[in-house]
Amino acid sequence: MIRFENVSKTYKNGTPALRNVTLDIEKGEFVFLVGASGSGKTTFLRLLLHEETPDHGRILEAGRDIGELPKWRVPYLRRNIGCVFQDFRLLPNKSVFENVAFALEVIGRPRSTVESQVPQILELVGLADKSKNLPHELSGGEQQRVAVARAFVNRPLILLADEPTGNLDPANSESIMALLERINRTGTTVVMATHDKALVDRMRRRVVELDRGEIVRDQVRGVYGIDEGVAI
Amino acid sequence: MRVYLRYAFKETFTNLWRNRMMTVAAVLTVAVSLSLVGSALLLKQSAAQASAQWQQGTRVTVWMQPTASQSEIDSVKTQLTSMPIVKDCQYFTQAQDYQQAKTLLPADEWSVLTPSATPSSFRCVPSVPTDAFTVQSTFANQPGVYQVTAPEQQIRQMNHAIRILQIVFLALAAVLLLSATVLILNTIRMAIFSRRREVSVMKLVGATNWFIRVPFITEGFIQGLLGSAVAILAVTALHTWYPLHNEFALNSAALVGTNTVVLVVGVVIGSVGSAIAIRRFLDV
Repeated sequence: MIRFENVSKTYKNGTPALRNVTLDIEKGEFVFLVGASGSGKTTFLRLLLHEETPDHGRILEAGRDIGELPKWRVPYLRRNIGCVFQDFRLLPNKSVFENVAFALEVIGRPRSTVESQVPQILELVGLADKSKNLPHELSGGEQQRVAVARAFVNRPLILLADEPTGNLDPANSESIMALLERINRTGTTVVMATHDKALVDRMRRRVVELDRGEIVRDQVRGVYGIDEGVAI
Repeated sequence: MRVYLRYAFKETFTNLWRNRMMTVAAVLTVAVSLSLVGSALLLKQSAAQASAQWQQGTRVTVWMQPTASQSEIDSVKTQLTSMPIVKDCQYFTQAQDYQQAKTLLPADEWSVLTPSATPSSFRCVPSVPTDAFTVQSTFANQPGVYQVTAPEQQIRQMNHAIRILQIVFLALAAVLLLSATVLILNTIRMAIFSRRREVSVMKLVGATNWFIRVPFITEGFIQGLLGSAVAILAVTALHTWYPLHNEFALNSAALVGTNTVVLVVGVVIGSVGSAIAIRRFLDV
């Protein structure tokens, strides 16, 4: 589903963000991306979204080299990728329903689709009864669930999450993880960048560790810290 | 498509309303500048029409000295008739001119005039109106000639004055149009800024670039359109009520033409203003 071939990226100020990264992620996999701040996790996700382009190497998504996409095709690429962030990025003046519906409306989905899909996805994330509330009336965990609903309402092939539990307490982190797992079980590939050691250790999923832009570890059933895992 | 049109429409008017003070400023600036453009165009057309009408009847008059001798009069007459640029010439004797002066001048002025003190004159029509000047320069210094007058000169002076007025109008209008464009650019920039969250979400979920851009473009377009609508009202009012009479009065075709120009310019500056704002501030 996702393939990095010798990808390097250096920002204009000279900071190398990724160095010669080669990685394969299969369809339906759940991958944790761990590493210290500045290790290149976010750059990895931005490259997948085509918000940045690599200096060297190729990135393939669903078998296609995204570096060869013409600029006008990039939005269509993004329709296949859902995104969740630490800071939720909800629109404060829109209700829960409108926030999720917005994602469908702006890619031109007809109203009938919006009306059938949005309640369904809000049911999935357990917020059916709060669809009329504004984001500030919700708890952080609930807001993040709205963000997940928005990312998934279009049924993307890939879901990217950049520290989705970074602003949440353990209980809420737990519910977000359960949600991401559930989405993963539908066949969606999930890539999650995180600092949450407890979560990673408990989930026992594939862990890719980055350090100063390089992959230093890739474990099938990994844990957060290198000393606790068994390298393969 | 219908979904999109509804979306674009809603977004455009929400934006216009949200930045209504800026919108009003931009619309008024467009309106004032386009009113000036429209008035300048009307003025130009009026002047062109009037001078064309005047020139059709251009005459050049060679006034002889009342004391001019017969031979001097004959010499001027021969020269005038032999000039190819003079189409037609009529000689008015001193008595005839005296009679005409009687009908043209107020009583207290012609009463001091006597037939023998009245100049005799040649009333000539040049084949081309501008040839009146050639006639003037040829005869002005001939013996026995008192003065050569041609209304062409007044027309020229008037045209000159109108042209200067027009240049002033257009220069003012150009400056105002520029500021209108910048104002529109600024309102769009503010709209983009106030909607940066929406824009970033739109980019994230894969809205196409044009989907994101169009509401901002229509916003500028509508500001230009509203401005030119106000200007069209002003220009039409000017045309209807301003006391331009006789040969200055323009028909409605000229008004429609002027208003079309006003409309097109308004829409163009609205679109250009928003296009620049989008290029510079909307990074999609």
